[in-house]
Amino acid sequence: MSTLQGHGIVNGRASGPALVAEEAISFLGDVDINTGTVVGDLPSVHGRSVKGTVLVFPYSRGSAGAWRFLYQLFKHGNHPVAIVTRDVPDPSVVQGAILAGIPIVSGVPPEEWERFRNGAVLTVDGGAGRVETPE
Amino acid sequence: MQLTAVEEGMLEGREGPAKQRAMEGLVQLGRAFGAPRMVEIGYAHIHAGMALYLEDVELMEDLAAIDARMAVPASVNIANADVENWKLTGAPEKLAKLQRRAADAHHKMGSACTFTCTPYWAGHWPTWNTHMTSIESTVTIFCNSVLGARSNRDGFFAVYAGMTGRYPLFGYHLDENRRGTHRVRVATPLESVTDYSALGFHVGRIVGEGVPVFEGFAQRPSLDALDAMGAALATSGGVALFIVPGVTPPYATAEQAFAGRSPAETIEVTRADVDAVYGYFCTRGDGVFDIVHVGCPHASFEEMKDYAARLDGRRIFPGTEFWITTSRAVRRMAEEAGLLRALEASGAKVISDTCPISCHFARTVSPDPALGVVPPPIRSVVVDSAKQAKYVRDMIRCDTLLTGTAEAIETALSGRFVARGGVA
Repeated sequence: MSTLQGHGIVNGRASGPALVAEEAISFLGDVDINTGTVVGDLPSVHGRSVKGTVLVFPYSRGSAGAWRFLYQLFKHGNHPVAIVTRDVPDPSVVQGAILAGIPIVSGVPPEEWERFRNGAVLTVDGGAGRVETPE
Repeated sequence: MQLTAVEEGMLEGREGPAKQRAMEGLVQLGRAFGAPRMVEIGYAHIHAGMALYLEDVELMEDLAAIDARMAVPASVNIANADVENWKLTGAPEKLAKLQRRAADAHHKMGSACTFTCTPYWAGHWPTWNTHMTSIESTVTIFCNSVLGARSNRDGFFAVYAGMTGRYPLFGYHLDENRRGTHRVRVATPLESVTDYSALGFHVGRIVGEGVPVFEGFAQRPSLDALDAMGAALATSGGVALFIVPGVTPPYATAEQAFAGRSPAETIEVTRADVDAVYGYFCTRGDGVFDIVHVGCPHASFEEMKDYAARLDGRRIFPGTEFWITTSRAVRRMAEEAGLLRALEASGAKVISDTCPISCHFARTVSPDPALGVVPPPIRSVVVDSAKQAKYVRDMIRCDTLLTGTAEAIETALSGRFVARGGVA
């Protein structure tokens, strides 16, 4: 096990299998709130479910409505348990994550991203800004 | 983050559980964006509590139940049903009743229950340098760019800011982020409010989250034109602030707007660029439509006068559905001015609190199944706003026909689609 240090954005601690998107995500439109399935034009994760995952993506595409869709994923039980990004997500995404209790760590150096393999269990500590990986 | 004694008190719960919850959220937000401290805000435009999303009205009811109160003037964003006139839209009564519960929560919390995306037309008019917060990107960009207030593009936390009167100092609250990044030269005449909407949509796609500085307008754009342009900039891009020198406080010149920095890009906008936006949003080759809509963002009183003048004494084509959407406040003003009677006599439906993309037509919602919400089949919508067009496509998931306001009204009167330029 090893630990990657980033910036803690939203407090909380959660573990789950990684789902790594290579593209930016918009929570308004890219993820179906009723199923958790990625329906947007994101070839690296299209058709996959974000439910229960640690969702890893480079940055969020802006929409002021994003918070509501992230919160609705939570209300339907289809939410990612944690989020790891390269850049700090939009304020709206951060607000939705705080509301839904989904920890976020940002600023993990891109050269470390290859360690985020789909399905590998990651543990995210939003308070400490840490991501623990199995190797 | 440096907090004052009052803010620390809120965080520790000395002012009750509502302010504690709000301050906890705002402190996390401030930490995420590196805010050194909070600022005192003067206005908040907050979430309605939306009846088409599972347990979303309850978000506001829960706050009211723990005695949340607005510490600053607050208006309320657009909702999912016309609470009074829900029958006009074909919405189930249960949906309207659920939406009314949100209104009750707002009344308890002391927010003005405007249910609109244009609270400024209803009298919420923050002034220069007022720190504020808004859940609606159209309100953010209008208040930043036309009124000179200071707002980020926020989400739910606008209500937390309203409850505490505080917001973390970052983003467009700081001078350093309120400077031009792109120069836009408008090299074509703009003939209607919809042309400004198309211009905004075109420029937003290019500048993303930048701050465009506009030059070359033949005359000072009207408030309705600035509103339409801002809404479109905030839709195709993440624009929170545009600058029109001489209009946007405090910038008298483009040089002041750029503050000594070189623009990242100079964008020359031609007639072809504006035409291309109309083309992009005219996806129905056979001209078939089910609804004609005007009033996005929610119509101003001036726009209501314009609609009434164009419809005066005439009749909407039989079987044609024509929607005018506005705020309940402007609807009331129109009623008192005799405009509402004239509009309704023509066969137009004047709807408040919601709009086509915000009502039960949307297919991206998640209502409680017990509400019995079934989106009607819609093939295509005629619109006079690029913002509405974008979200009709994304949320109702049908075709659009974008045209000018005058042409949209002629479409409703004739029953046949009239493209832009079809009305002198």
